[in-house]
Amino acid sequence: MPKYAMVIDQRRCIGCMACVVACKKENEVPPGDFRTRVVEKVEGEYPKLRMELRSELCNHCDNPPCVYNCPTGASYKNKETGMVLLKKYRCVGCKSCVAACPYDARYINEEKGFADKCTFCEHRIKEGKEPACVATCIGKSRIFGDLDDPKSAVSIALRENHAEVLLQSAGTKPRVYYIRKFGKPE
Amino acid sequence: MEITTTGLNAITSPHLHVWDWRVSLYLFLGGLSAGLAIMTSILHVRKGGNLAEGERAAISAPLYVPIILSIGMFFIFLDLERKLNVFWFYLTVQPLSPMSWGSWGLLVFYPITVLYALAMFPESKRHLLMFRQLKEFSEWLSTYKLKLAAVNFGMGVFIGVYTGVLLSSFVARPLWNSAILPILFLTSAMSAGAAFMIMISNQKKVKLYFTKVDIWLVLAEMVMLPLFFYGQYTSSGAHRESIMPFFTFNHEYFWYGIGMLLLLVIFPIALVMKFLEVKEDHGEELTADALFKMNLSALMVLAGGLIIRFTFVYAGQLSHLS
Amino acid sequence: MAVTSALPDKFLLWAEEQGMIKATYTATFCEMCFWKCGTMAKVLNGRVVKLEGNTAHPGARGKLCARGNAGAGLLYDPNRLKTPLISTGARGEGKYRKASWDEALSVVADKLNKIKQQYGPESVALFTHGTPTDHFLPLLSAYGSPNVGMPSFAQCRGPRDVGLELTFGEGIGSPERVDMVNSKVVVLFGSHLGENMHNSQVQDFAEAVGKGVKFVVIDPRYSIAAGKAHIWMPIKPSTDIALMLAWINIIISEGMYDKQYISSYANGFTELADAVKSYTPEWAARETDLPVQQIVETARLLGKNAPAVCVHPGRHVTWYGDDVQRTRCIGILMALLGTWGREGGAFFATKASFPKMAAKPFPEPGKAPLNLGGFPFAGGEGVTQAIRTATISGAPYPIKGWFVSGTNLMKSLPNQKETIEAIKKLDLLVAVDVMPFDTVMMADVILPECTYLERHDALAVGKGKSLTVSLRQPVVEPMYESKPGWWIAKELSKRLGAEEYFPWNTYEDKIKNQCSQWNVDYEQLKKVGTITIPNTATPFITVTNQPEFKTASGKIELYSKELKEKGFDPVPRYTNHQQPAPGEFRLVYGRSAVHTFSRSTNNAELSELFPENEVWVNSRKAKEMGIENNAYVVLVNQDGVKSNRIKVKATERIREDCVYMVHGYGTTSKELKNAYGKGADDQGLITRYAVDPICGGTGMRVNFVRFAKEGSNA
Repeated sequence: MPKYAMVIDQRRCIGCMACVVACKKENEVPPGDFRTRVVEKVEGEYPKLRMELRSELCNHCDNPPCVYNCPTGASYKNKETGMVLLKKYRCVGCKSCVAACPYDARYINEEKGFADKCTFCEHRIKEGKEPACVATCIGKSRIFGDLDDPKSAVSIALRENHAEVLLQSAGTKPRVYYIRKFGKPE
Repeated sequence: MEITTTGLNAITSPHLHVWDWRVSLYLFLGGLSAGLAIMTSILHVRKGGNLAEGERAAISAPLYVPIILSIGMFFIFLDLERKLNVFWFYLTVQPLSPMSWGSWGLLVFYPITVLYALAMFPESKRHLLMFRQLKEFSEWLSTYKLKLAAVNFGMGVFIGVYTGVLLSSFVARPLWNSAILPILFLTSAMSAGAAFMIMISNQKKVKLYFTKVDIWLVLAEMVMLPLFFYGQYTSSGAHRESIMPFFTFNHEYFWYGIGMLLLLVIFPIALVMKFLEVKEDHGEELTADALFKMNLSALMVLAGGLIIRFTFVYAGQLSHLS
Repeated sequence: MAVTSALPDKFLLWAEEQGMIKATYTATFCEMCFWKCGTMAKVLNGRVVKLEGNTAHPGARGKLCARGNAGAGLLYDPNRLKTPLISTGARGEGKYRKASWDEALSVVADKLNKIKQQYGPESVALFTHGTPTDHFLPLLSAYGSPNVGMPSFAQCRGPRDVGLELTFGEGIGSPERVDMVNSKVVVLFGSHLGENMHNSQVQDFAEAVGKGVKFVVIDPRYSIAAGKAHIWMPIKPSTDIALMLAWINIIISEGMYDKQYISSYANGFTELADAVKSYTPEWAARETDLPVQQIVETARLLGKNAPAVCVHPGRHVTWYGDDVQRTRCIGILMALLGTWGREGGAFFATKASFPKMAAKPFPEPGKAPLNLGGFPFAGGEGVTQAIRTATISGAPYPIKGWFVSGTNLMKSLPNQKETIEAIKKLDLLVAVDVMPFDTVMMADVILPECTYLERHDALAVGKGKSLTVSLRQPVVEPMYESKPGWWIAKELSKRLGAEEYFPWNTYEDKIKNQCSQWNVDYEQLKKVGTITIPNTATPFITVTNQPEFKTASGKIELYSKELKEKGFDPVPRYTNHQQPAPGEFRLVYGRSAVHTFSRSTNNAELSELFPENEVWVNSRKAKEMGIENNAYVVLVNQDGVKSNRIKVKATERIREDCVYMVHGYGTTSKELKNAYGKGADDQGLITRYAVDPICGGTGMRVNFVRFAKEGSNA
């Protein structure tokens, strides 16, 4: 049973947004909606500045509030792969999942009314490919793979680097890990 | 700190906005019908049924419950993005989803309220049920009066409390994420039910009785609300942030400030008015002036409940963890 | 085919998931910018649903940037040019009527023939950029004119290549042959890699950052590259040469240069050492507004880590008019540190090449070309504004026709007033393009070219480390009545009596012929898109691979005799440039990773990420002026020209003496329904330009702006 996860090495993210566009094209995301985003943070006072770049997406949590709160079982966690996915035909559009997600990862598909979000490109994984954002990441900042495989890129990345998750205190147990670096000129 | 984010979804930025007046209205009306169901059960059971003797509300109140609930359900139905899929609520039970519990609960609550209404028809008025089968059914049901009242009471509590449980279950919305919220909602619902009962009942003893009930409920709310805000204030940073809209008086948070001020004014005034109503020696009949005062204080309580639902639904969507 | 392409993409993707239809992948290369990344286009029932990088292409390495991913946004842009258009009003009025190809081509050919009769073919000039050049440059040459102007020279990298040619005998190429991945230190002068998105180069940049390579970024703005840097030097704009000369001085005086390299390969060391003596770090600190300690330490950082130091020569270097000399400084630094031809520095291009194709020689023009503008070191791409000046003045001979393909002159040439004045003097202005850009909407005749996804273009030969050849082939049939550039050129050639220069039936015939001459398997190439010829890489100096410098002396010219002969400084000298007056800010411009100047601002898939540009201004200065973040202002330059409204970004990320905005917004074309009315046009504010006397490059960072409230009569 592959335990899919993603590691984002923030040191290598250069904020190019290729992932945002590739994801939208791969998954036919309607205009105005996004499944992933890039945050650029700069702090300090001129000329002592520091920059952080961070891409965010659905964390496919092990403790997903969006799954618990879904009244129709449309939102579910695939026991085998660990991905949090959506059975669109069951979605009523009550928006509990959108409200329940602490990461604001979900949106309502404007045209059809169902809730939607990142699926770790499940359809590509089935074909042996990587998610679209990972495949196009110019900086090789996004790493995807099976945590149960000690030789996978994610396992290696997590062994060799300190990584954190977002909003740890929310108790959602995300599967997206961040190797942070708040860049800082000397 | 300069933050630029590319790829924000309009629905969650600058803050969450998924639920609006339709949901707030449902919370209020649902709570009102639940509270009314509770008060109706009390009306019929109290003093072995003596309180309900000759009381117009004994018949009308149980009928109001499903009507008010229907109006509320209509509004929440409007909120669904995929209305044609609504039947999916009833093809599955999601044990961890308060919304699932609620949808099934409502499915049970509805028929109970109708059965209850039928059961509570007094002998003298049974002819109003035009059909013979209905009259016989009502007669048969009335033998289970007590049991039905208990079930009605229980379902009322459930419906009154589950919306609070639903909102409080969102770790992502710190304003709602409080253990007091379900109790607050239930108390507010019961208080609204009592206020409504005061308005629709015609006998002095019934009005005064429910005024006494309402005094305790309003008092409880006046304790719970400060405790709620205190609890949020002393919880995590996100929780403290979440209540700020209520206490910040500027252009951005104007309505929340107004709401808070109104609550600060409404509940004490209503409480004092009710206290005076109870203490006053009314004589045989209630004067028009006294009736007016009672209706006014009841309306104030209802307004308070409405304000709580609206401000909480909207302010909760301003709050966030990150 | 037509029915299924009308089906929405969602349905097609669902059908694909169900296994009802299968996608086809066609290899081609991208033209969203000019890196030419190999692309695999996924087509479902006639509709392009996804674009992915070709793993076989060295410029893409299996990845595409945001623009490459958004190619379908161009293909299906509703504002695309659909039919040939003939102007019915004054130039620039935007009034056109639809015409058939026959009529439009005839109008163009008639006018061209008239000009040839009246003035001679030299009176027609071609302005071009990108792969349309493959077709229209031969057309111009066949017609008999030598006057071509490519803005990429005088408005972009021309001075860089000239500076490096004068030093090493060759430029750095495009893609730049920098070996950042193996460096220990990388120096970026103003280059904002990361926002300047050139696929493989940014991949190398990110790889270097990931490996812990030390970056020294010299930029008045805290760019993303600065955010990754170990050392950010917020230099006073226009003083870069001071810093470089001081570094050269320190490196020489502290003996940190590669002595063996210099003695083996370079000339003029003594003269250089002498010339830079006076450029002390203290002097440089005063000029550049940088701490003297930082200047010394960075010089030592470079010296200690030589030769694995990459002093990146940049790309768009037309800044202040002494840009050739500034590149000379960089070249000298590269030479002193021994990095040219060494790992971590700059690598040599492959020596291999494909055999030259036999072709009918073009007719000799009767008059001498005027496109070099009299600049002694101007390149073959021409000096665009020299053609413009000749058009206005009529000297040395008049230019009566402009053929513009794939370039938006209104947004590339400085001082738009001159461009408009020149256009008024023309008998003919023809535009070949995909979208109704500003310049296109001034043409007499507009010929709609189909997008890169719908056409063949010339085989792209890559001369990076190895020799590669890439194919562009149609992924889908051209939409509407648009046609490929080669068809337009061939059809025009027929009407100009020059068809003999286009001796093939379709362009694919020409490609097939080329492949067979070059021993390249065409069928294989169609499948894989890019073929790398093995054993063609000789990137670094080895015992057997000694460098050949194509300078006059055959060695690296630290001291340039060539420049001296023509009356220029043989060793770069520092000049003080004009600084902004109080209340003024120097206008600096740059790039966004999701846009390619004005080409992509209408693309819905990209504009939703970055719909309008902003003017970056130091937050303290903004506060002083009473301007709030996200407010809208108008900028007024030193000549009183006003910009359209632009949003303010009050930030700590920029010096107090300059403002910055992304180039390419503020289109004047109402036909670009998505982009029109959004953002401000920096080019409109660039009315003053400093011409580099050595090669004709137009320095464009010499304009100063003031802030004015929206709607004011400042």
